[in-house]
Amino acid sequence: MTSYLDATVPNRSEHLWRYTPWSRVHPGRVDSVPDVDSAVIKSEDFELTNKTFEPLATTDIARIFLNEILHTTTVVACENNNGHIHIHAGGHSVAAHLHIACNSASNIVIHLHGEADWFGLALTGDIHPNAQLSVGIINELSTDSVMVRVDDWSLHRDARFELATLSMGGHRNKSDIRSTLKGSNASLKQFIAVHGHGTRHDDHHIEIHHQQPHTNSHLLLNAACDDRSHSIGTGALTIDDVAQHTDAGQVFRNLLLSPSSRAEAIPELEVLANEVAAAHGAASAPINKEQLHYLMSRGLSKGEATSMIVEGFLVDSFTGLDSDLVREAMQTRLTVHLECQLIG
Amino acid sequence: MTQEAQDAVGDYKYGFHDPEAATIRFDKGLSEQVVRDISELKGEPAWMTDIRIKAYHHFMEREMPTWGNCDSLAGIDFDNVTYFLRSSDKTEKDWNDVPDDIKRTFDRLGIPEAEQKWLGGVTAQYESEAVYHSIREDLEEQGVLFLDMDSGLKEHPEIVKKYFGTVVPHTDNKFSALNTAVWSGGSFIYVPKGVHVEMPVQAYFRINAKNMGQFERTLIIADEGSSIHYVEGCTAPTYSTDSLHSAVVELIAMEGAKIRYSTVQNWSANVYNLVTKRGVAYKNATVEWVDGNIGSKLTMKYPAVLLKGEGAHAEVISVAYAGEGQHQDAGAKVHHLAPNTTSNILSKSISKNGGRSSYRGMLQVTPKASGCRSKVVCDALMLDEDSRSDTYPTMEIGNSTADLEHEASVSKVSGDQLFYLMSRGHSEEEAMGLIVNGFFEPFTRELPMEYAVELNRLLELEMEGSIG
Repeated sequence: MTSYLDATVPNRSEHLWRYTPWSRVHPGRVDSVPDVDSAVIKSEDFELTNKTFEPLATTDIARIFLNEILHTTTVVACENNNGHIHIHAGGHSVAAHLHIACNSASNIVIHLHGEADWFGLALTGDIHPNAQLSVGIINELSTDSVMVRVDDWSLHRDARFELATLSMGGHRNKSDIRSTLKGSNASLKQFIAVHGHGTRHDDHHIEIHHQQPHTNSHLLLNAACDDRSHSIGTGALTIDDVAQHTDAGQVFRNLLLSPSSRAEAIPELEVLANEVAAAHGAASAPINKEQLHYLMSRGLSKGEATSMIVEGFLVDSFTGLDSDLVREAMQTRLTVHLECQLIG
Repeated sequence: MTQEAQDAVGDYKYGFHDPEAATIRFDKGLSEQVVRDISELKGEPAWMTDIRIKAYHHFMEREMPTWGNCDSLAGIDFDNVTYFLRSSDKTEKDWNDVPDDIKRTFDRLGIPEAEQKWLGGVTAQYESEAVYHSIREDLEEQGVLFLDMDSGLKEHPEIVKKYFGTVVPHTDNKFSALNTAVWSGGSFIYVPKGVHVEMPVQAYFRINAKNMGQFERTLIIADEGSSIHYVEGCTAPTYSTDSLHSAVVELIAMEGAKIRYSTVQNWSANVYNLVTKRGVAYKNATVEWVDGNIGSKLTMKYPAVLLKGEGAHAEVISVAYAGEGQHQDAGAKVHHLAPNTTSNILSKSISKNGGRSSYRGMLQVTPKASGCRSKVVCDALMLDEDSRSDTYPTMEIGNSTADLEHEASVSKVSGDQLFYLMSRGHSEEEAMGLIVNGFFEPFTRELPMEYAVELNRLLELEMEGSIG
């Protein structure tokens, strides 16, 4: 295992760290490994067991760092369970590793909350052959928090996996979400909604690797950026030469709501097989004036009309979720948040 | 061409070479002295020598790019390149005065014939320098300057000094530094205010010698309200050792001007083609790159436009064909730096026989650039399971009023289309050829007709044997 202090800090020429340098999301001085407490993980719906943390296999600096500070893994047993898991990030700097092993059909909503200055989260999962898993992650951290999240998901033969992220908390977030389709006929759907407000900086890097034939993946990232917020979406979709008959698509959409907001989209595609359908799209635009005019002509104020359009844009991110539990949880929480933020 | 030569060349019809007849040939390898010698030989002013020396040192200090095809780039042996080779003592204005062997080459490439039929002017560069140059009298009378770059520097040093390196500085990247240090040949064009050059002007670049480096430098300035269409073509013989082509092209379109720069790059598969092309468009000006990459071993080329004036427009149409052993790493960059600027990028690529094509793009909207619109479309066709296609687009949006779209797709040739054409009597190979020609049609329709016909023929040649 590479020691963090021996590892090279990546520079901004690296795709992954181009817009959010590692030094900006490290909990202290970049050449140090500070003391980090464990976050509190609770659930009334799932059986959680703790075991000794096994290092993540990686050359990536964020994972190498988490390998140094994590000591415990919380394992979620999924046996046709549905429900919620709460991760509370309190104190100065905290971290958690949650591992989900799914052999059945389960639906999980993970709530991240707390006022920690820094929160490091590692999420790993194995979706075993024929299993179905739907996971929704709601980030409602305090507005001062910095979060580093790394995900490593393995999808095996005939596995179905949905992963939804609602990002509206925290001040600076760096999420590196990697999924590997290791078995034929595996299917991945990934949905991300970002609401940028204040000076939020939200960076999502999504890697999807098709290693086997007849695999499918679909990614949708919708970001609405207000005030001086900054959203970044970078995608790296790789289709190996043996992964024939793959169907993969990525869509990145940015809605810019204020003159000082910013958005970046880099959906990359590497295709080494020819019998595939691979596509990506990215779009960025202000609020459509015709939509605004239509709503205002029906008696809404400009603020109300804008809020309605933003809500529609973000809520739409999750309509493709098959899991009713996860979809409703995400959409409900998003609607409440937007009503507080936009309408007051 | 002997049968042996024919066998070596294969399908690449421009792979022949003539005996080297150099009047001056530098030893292989690069040093400050080589740079000084090139400058002295050309009798350049001291300021140009200084720029060359600065660029040389920057080149030596700058690391190789850490992106793109690093493995292939690592194969370049800068010590095994001839940096200057003069084939003719002067640039002729009459084809009859061009040395016979060189003239024969350009005859075979069809350049004199094309000039008579449809060109406003021609520059033919052989190795490091132009061997032939002409411009129609009526354009000359209107004040249009169309010279090879060496003559441009001699005859109009004030214009060259004002604009040289302003669009692509030598510090831009390692290969622009190399070009600035050892540049030779290329075109210099100045179009006066309000003049529209109706017929395209053409430059043809030919590498003949082994391990040759060609480093032409092109500077085109279209003054207010003027327009010009510049076409370049390039070929080289097929050798077992590699050659290096590292050009820099700078376009400056003043208020209301329009520059279209069309390229059909058909280097042989032993040429590294590492080119920096960039244009600046001022108020209501238009810069268009029409860029076709058929040949070369590795191409890394991303025509760029800086939209500096309100209402400026950029258009990039780029196609790439990557066959066996080829990597076409091409794309486009557009920087929206002023309000109400617009751009369109269309990129199409085909990978076949293990070839790799990559689109690498940048679309940037700065905070001051309100009301911008842009659309990027990338389509890739994969013709077999050994090939590869990549897309690396970047969108940086710093202004909330920008309206940008990007879409890309990678797919194989549709079975329905093949079936339709075959049911109408075409063989599978013909059907595939028609589909490929149709796929590139948005590019070919923007080319002068003679180029479009030639390109379609080249593609048909490349497609031969692609089935079964």
